[in-house]
Amino acid sequence: MPEQFEETTVAVSGPRLHLGCPSCGAQLVVEASLRTMRCPYCAAPNVVERPPAAGVPEPVFALGFALTHVAAKEHVARWLKTRSRFTRSGIRSAEPGEVRGVYVPAYLYSVLAHSRFRASIGEDYQEQETYTTTENGKTVTRTRTVTRTEWRSLNGELKGYVADVLVTASTGLRNDELEALEPFDLRGLARYTPALISGWVAEEPSLTREQCLAQARQEAEERVGGRLGQFMPGDSHRELEHESRLEWEALDVCLLPVWVLAVRYAEGAPPLRVLVNGQTGEVHGKAPISVWKVVAAVLVLLVLVVAGWLLAQGGGR
Amino acid sequence: MSTAVPTVAPCQRCASALEAEDLRCPICGLTTPPPVHGAVERETARVVRCENCGAAMEYSAEAKAPRCDFCGSVTRVETTADPVEQAEVWLPFTVDPAAARAALMGFLGKGGFFRPSGLAEEAAVESLQPLWWPAWSFQAGVDASWTADSDAGSGRSSWAPHAGRTRFDFENIPVPASKGLKVKECEALAPHYQRGSAEGAPRGPEGAHVERFEATRSGARRTVLEAVERLSRERLQQGVIPGRRFRNVHVAVALSSLHTTRLALPAYVLAYRYKGKAYRVVVHGQDAGVVLGETPISGWRVAAVVAGVLVLLLVVLLVMGVFGR
Ligand SMILES: [Zn+2]
Ligand SMILES: [Zn+2]
Ligand SMILES: [Zn+2]
Repeated sequence: MPEQFEETTVAVSGPRLHLGCPSCGAQLVVEASLRTMRCPYCAAPNVVERPPAAGVPEPVFALGFALTHVAAKEHVARWLKTRSRFTRSGIRSAEPGEVRGVYVPAYLYSVLAHSRFRASIGEDYQEQETYTTTENGKTVTRTRTVTRTEWRSLNGELKGYVADVLVTASTGLRNDELEALEPFDLRGLARYTPALISGWVAEEPSLTREQCLAQARQEAEERVGGRLGQFMPGDSHRELEHESRLEWEALDVCLLPVWVLAVRYAEGAPPLRVLVNGQTGEVHGKAPISVWKVVAAVLVLLVLVVAGWLLAQGGGR
Repeated sequence: MSTAVPTVAPCQRCASALEAEDLRCPICGLTTPPPVHGAVERETARVVRCENCGAAMEYSAEAKAPRCDFCGSVTRVETTADPVEQAEVWLPFTVDPAAARAALMGFLGKGGFFRPSGLAEEAAVESLQPLWWPAWSFQAGVDASWTADSDAGSGRSSWAPHAGRTRFDFENIPVPASKGLKVKECEALAPHYQRGSAEGAPRGPEGAHVERFEATRSGARRTVLEAVERLSRERLQQGVIPGRRFRNVHVAVALSSLHTTRLALPAYVLAYRYKGKAYRVVVHGQDAGVVLGETPISGWRVAAVVAGVLVLLLVVLLVMGVFGR
């Protein structure tokens, strides 16, 4: 039953393409990693079509941009203003620079997961307990109700579909960055057609299918683990272990809308990379913390503590 | 109507029925086979042109669609449609309005003890509305994984954990979609329909009203899935999970071959007035023996019963007092 992936995968790297612009006939030099290119002579939005090659799957789906250029910039400006006071100076007042809309390739994975689990289930019960205590200098015996837990082992199964797993297929967007931008509303999914990416930057997958498949399986396993945690009976559980058999795997390339921008906040410092979910407006970036600001804050705090201590000592004398 | 729609092959992974516009299976998420298009022979650069004016066309985030900047025309892209669909299968009325009226009279005359005498004679029927109410009907194979605590095999605690996996087959399970009828009424009417009498068009008394489906396709699927989970949970507690008392019942379902039909089911809604107050009664459109509704309660009779019970209680107490001494 499980679907076989027989095709071998090669990383997308290759020579640049030399293509004629269908609008003006000029020679276009297209990077192998890109799917679109605007003609430098006539500004025509070209979409590159390649014959099917082993390991370079065609996009099946695309999620169109729903957030405009202006809105993306506003989201970032608001995000910058709300950063912590300890970020490096200049970040909170930085102006978002050039924003680029990029269709980033990702794999959309779904599977039928058949898991077997083993766990120790805690069932609580109440018991009367006698104990001795001292009251008014005398030793007396009293009883009290205590809650105890009876641990029982449980084996079982959980079978279900895990759909909507997204993993990056681009070296330009790390998977943890994609996770920070998620969720995408997959109800808006459209069947890929060149018109969806016309005029925008669209990347070709740059990670191999095997790499992405491994990542997707891991995410599916994590989801099953999360489901199992919710699935346990009893008042508590521990030692939950599971192993899953993944059947009927399906993996399709989906282009995701991401606004990318570099924020320059200081001379000489590398620009801060900020990503915006092109559908929901979720912003992700790692604003660097200023070491000096943190050290200064710690010093001020220390001085205050010492001063307070000295005052207290002075008052006590 | 349904003959014109091209049949769509079911999902290859879970065998559930798919609509023509589904990009992915709504049950298991498997991508539906894309329309076949010829692959390009060699690398080419292509400019997407406006079908209207021929200008180069770009995707617009404002329009959320490819839009031509010159003439403003927008191209539709293929997405998962979520329409509100109407009934595809109609069950005919086999009870005519006169029979429905008679059924109401029978219902009023039959009377329980608390019904005022002469109700059938004094009640004035104000309206009689034949209507088709909407419902989904589904069939599905359900692979239900479950865990629960029950009293079976319990030790020191009164609960012991259990787990298992069970297969259920659901066939012709009705799920009401009516906003006009109460859920209880729908549930009481549903089992009495002759499913074999299904037709492709409405057939019934003149002026029969058709209550429309209001849920979208995705809303309908959600409701059906909720029904599958609820029914699975019920069935598990009727002999599958060992024991007699349960708690923490967790059910996870993996569906296969889900198929949903949109039904229009016949019924009469009658309103009558008794002593200035309006009451509503529903008569089944295919079985006049099924009459649901509210009836007035005779205040005198209730008072009489309460008084009778009190007197009886008093007598019992007295008797016990006498013998106790
Ligand atoms: Zn050109
Ligand atoms: Zn399916
Ligand atoms: Zn145009």
